[in-house]
Amino acid sequence: MTTTLALQLAIAGLSVGSIYALVALAIVIPFKASGVLNFGQGEIVTFGAYAALVLTQLALPYPIVLACVVALGAVGGIAIERVLIRPIVKAPEFTLVIATFAIGLLIKGAISVRFGDSPNTIDGPFGGEPIVAAGLRFNPTSLWIFGCTLLVTFAVIAFFRHTRLGKAMRAVSVSPEAAKLMGIRVDRVYRWSWAISTAIGALAGLLVAPLIGINPEIGQLILRGLLGAVIGGFTSIPGAVVGGLAVGLIETFSGVLIGSAFKNLVPFVLLMLLLVFRPYGLFGAADVQRV
Amino acid sequence: MSEPRRPLGTAIGAVAVVALALVASTLGSYPVYLLSLAMINVIAAIGLNLLTGNSGQISLCHSSFMAIGAYGSTLLTAKLGMPFWTAIPAGALLAAAMGAALGAPASRLRGIYLALATLGFLQIVQILIEEFADLTGGVRGLSVPKASLAGARLSDYARFLIVLGCCALAIWTARNLLASRVGRELDAVRLSAPASQALGVSLQRVRLTAFALSAAYAGVAGGLQAIVVGFIDPVEFGVSSALRQITFIVVGGMGSVAGSVIGAGVLSALPEALRPVKEYSDIIYTAILLLFLIFLPHGLVTLWQRGVRGRDAALPARSGAPS
Amino acid sequence: MRTVLLAAGAALCALALPLHAQQQGVTADTITVGAHGPITGPAAYIGLAGRDGMLLAIKEINTAGGINGRKIAAVFEDDGHSPTRALAAVKKLVEQDKVFVVMSVGGSNATVGAVDYMKEKGVPYYVSIASAPQVTWPHAKNLFRGGTTETARYGELYAEFLATYYKAKRIAIMSGREEYPRNEGDATVDKLKTWFQTAPVARVEFNIGDKDFTPQLVEVQKANPDVVAFFGNPAEAAIAMRQAKELGLKQPFFVGSNMVDPALVAAAKGSSEGVMGFSLIPYLPGSKAPDMTKWEAAWKKEYPNAPAGRPNNFDLLAYGDMYVLAEGMKRAGANLTTDSLVKALEGIQDYRVGSVATPRTFSTKHHIGNLTLVPMVVKDGQWEPVQWTSARESDILKRYN
Repeated sequence: MTTTLALQLAIAGLSVGSIYALVALAIVIPFKASGVLNFGQGEIVTFGAYAALVLTQLALPYPIVLACVVALGAVGGIAIERVLIRPIVKAPEFTLVIATFAIGLLIKGAISVRFGDSPNTIDGPFGGEPIVAAGLRFNPTSLWIFGCTLLVTFAVIAFFRHTRLGKAMRAVSVSPEAAKLMGIRVDRVYRWSWAISTAIGALAGLLVAPLIGINPEIGQLILRGLLGAVIGGFTSIPGAVVGGLAVGLIETFSGVLIGSAFKNLVPFVLLMLLLVFRPYGLFGAADVQRV
Repeated sequence: MSEPRRPLGTAIGAVAVVALALVASTLGSYPVYLLSLAMINVIAAIGLNLLTGNSGQISLCHSSFMAIGAYGSTLLTAKLGMPFWTAIPAGALLAAAMGAALGAPASRLRGIYLALATLGFLQIVQILIEEFADLTGGVRGLSVPKASLAGARLSDYARFLIVLGCCALAIWTARNLLASRVGRELDAVRLSAPASQALGVSLQRVRLTAFALSAAYAGVAGGLQAIVVGFIDPVEFGVSSALRQITFIVVGGMGSVAGSVIGAGVLSALPEALRPVKEYSDIIYTAILLLFLIFLPHGLVTLWQRGVRGRDAALPARSGAPS
Repeated sequence: MRTVLLAAGAALCALALPLHAQQQGVTADTITVGAHGPITGPAAYIGLAGRDGMLLAIKEINTAGGINGRKIAAVFEDDGHSPTRALAAVKKLVEQDKVFVVMSVGGSNATVGAVDYMKEKGVPYYVSIASAPQVTWPHAKNLFRGGTTETARYGELYAEFLATYYKAKRIAIMSGREEYPRNEGDATVDKLKTWFQTAPVARVEFNIGDKDFTPQLVEVQKANPDVVAFFGNPAEAAIAMRQAKELGLKQPFFVGSNMVDPALVAAAKGSSEGVMGFSLIPYLPGSKAPDMTKWEAAWKKEYPNAPAGRPNNFDLLAYGDMYVLAEGMKRAGANLTTDSLVKALEGIQDYRVGSVATPRTFSTKHHIGNLTLVPMVVKDGQWEPVQWTSARESDILKRYN
């Protein structure tokens, strides 16, 4: 493999990995705060992509579309948390896993019925002409996605470290009891952790749409996002991002090295190995205890 | 706590089996086909309930064990000429072995990590079926050799009787299992891991046994589905199917054989009832699952219990949900 | 006079019917037609369109008086693009709903599950959209293929077009791992070898549902082809063509017939400019040809709330094929049975409902309805016909003699 090829593959891997990173981030945030793993996160991404489609077809400019998609994602998350998650937040883990799965399927079903299954797409904000530099070709949309992912990551880290709500979330993730005693509104924290998570997920949908098209099956990429979260260890924000990027690279390179026949096996075999030998991932700490 | 053996229950069961066989003999071939599929769902649900309802382990890959049973028995018949009545048990044995193989590492995982591991296993099985297309037919599916006895092809009704017999056997063995020491260990491990360990129960062994047992039931169901339908393909054994089986036990009631029967029975009839709105059938199915999870997490069987056995509001097996 | 004869005929039928077993699915005033296709799952854009096109045709036929005094009643079952469910669907249609004829508007993947059963039951099975070889070979009396042509025929046309229109000596083939795309790829490779003594310089596979084609495209690029032939689905083609551009792959793309569809342009936008492929219908939805705009208007009146991207090719195919089936039933006359329908269909030559469909021809020797395809190119975001006709005779019919 030549260096140029390897670098080109690395660019492709990082670009798709950024999406996985955002999804992993969106999964880890509510998990850290409330211990709930949202198996429906993939469909939040699908929702974001379709929201972007509808808004773009209304001829709104890209920055407005972006802001609206993020806002819609947040609102959607608050609605889901209030209506469907709140009644079962104290339920055993089984119920939460299956319920979030089911919520995802409902969203996907509704989208399928409303929009049909024909593929669609939207344009990236900077057009499709590749930027050639140093003998390598960069897709401007991929650069934009990578940039957004970095921005979001730093924003989230800053949020947790420096804002009141962020610190409150960290307190709740350590011990909801103690947080409550400290006067923190735990239900508000849960609600906002969901809102942030679904906002990020919806944003990922908008970002990824020019790359992979818009169709109801987009949600499948949650499996890659989950793997990214596992690699990062479910409790680490930077870990989730690094994990997602790693999955993107692994996927792209295994396509070349192993051939397309078995390349799809690699993420899942990796997942199983990690779960058995290092469930806390490469960055994570011990299991978050739920009440 | 176990339920005392009730000879009356077994007698009622035997009568029900005979009655069902007689009624079915008067029906057309399509309703008989549907009944067979419903009973196959019951067998699968019983297996899953042992794992999730009783031993408390989440599993998103139950349909993969059905796949192993289905493809295993079909290939044994197609390539080695084994008749169905040895091929299906062989397929089930293979599924049980794979169940134990998965259970060995998986039984050490809890909660979402277990869910993820089983999800990973399901994807791996799907990909393997699709990749070894020369053997399995890949996404195109595999035609199942017609089941025959002494050279004569079995009719729809004959296959129905076989499925009926297996279903009755599944119910009977599961009930006995749950009433035995093994059943008590399954429940103990779910209700309180530390307490069980303190009493000398090996968590690892019990959980692994649960995996193997549930896979065996699924393997039988898969092998039966192959000969009843006559065709198998990987989509039939994917995530939707696994989620459907989870819906059976959530709606029916987790931890009891009755719950499995009720859930699988009621929900197998649902697609037929939903035919007028079939484009929405996926959504309706999922909505039902969600509603039950929120409002009636212990399943329909609790309604029946509250009605019939007013005094015992809930049996012990109902409490302490899986994780 | 005609009325008298018709009345006498009807009376005779009414008398005759109780005397022997009534033809399933046919009564004095109704013909029950069953159909299956994917209306849920990722291939729903095929089945929903197939169903809607077929039902539009049925509505028009019924409004115009029906067939020989009988109205058509339709029963549709979902097959979810799965062979097992297609089998369950036809089982129900034949045994429960007791239909007279079954039409398949599903894909090859699902239809293969039902073929053996339909052969066994002897109920007429008219396959509009699937191209699975089993439908027409080995020849079965009650199976007919309508809109799509034989996979081998695709191979013949594609190979000839690549060799003579593109004048390509170096051809790269990318095919998806599903029944239909793989068959297309294999058939093309086969004919390139036997007719033109050419072997592809690269043959790569991908999985249906893949989102990244960098590894395959890199390999294709290395082989330096004159043209890239792509067999898969519109969603994948869109991503692959975009990524090809990004990697600097300048070669033109040629796509399989299921992608010669407005859906490809919707998914690929600018990257689809200049792409070529063969179409099963003379005009694509969105074309400005007057017959097409008229048809689309009628369609939109019937289905005002359809999502974007509809009507699509499958609406048109199913529409045209339903008329062919109806024509067969009409020619079979008042005494409508399986045998009379088969005989009537076999007598059909170059029939089509209008210029929005391609003509169908059946014979007693084979039931391959359509052997002609129309080459097209994407120009300014719209599929336009290309001037080219095949100069070679098809090899396929030779084996039916």
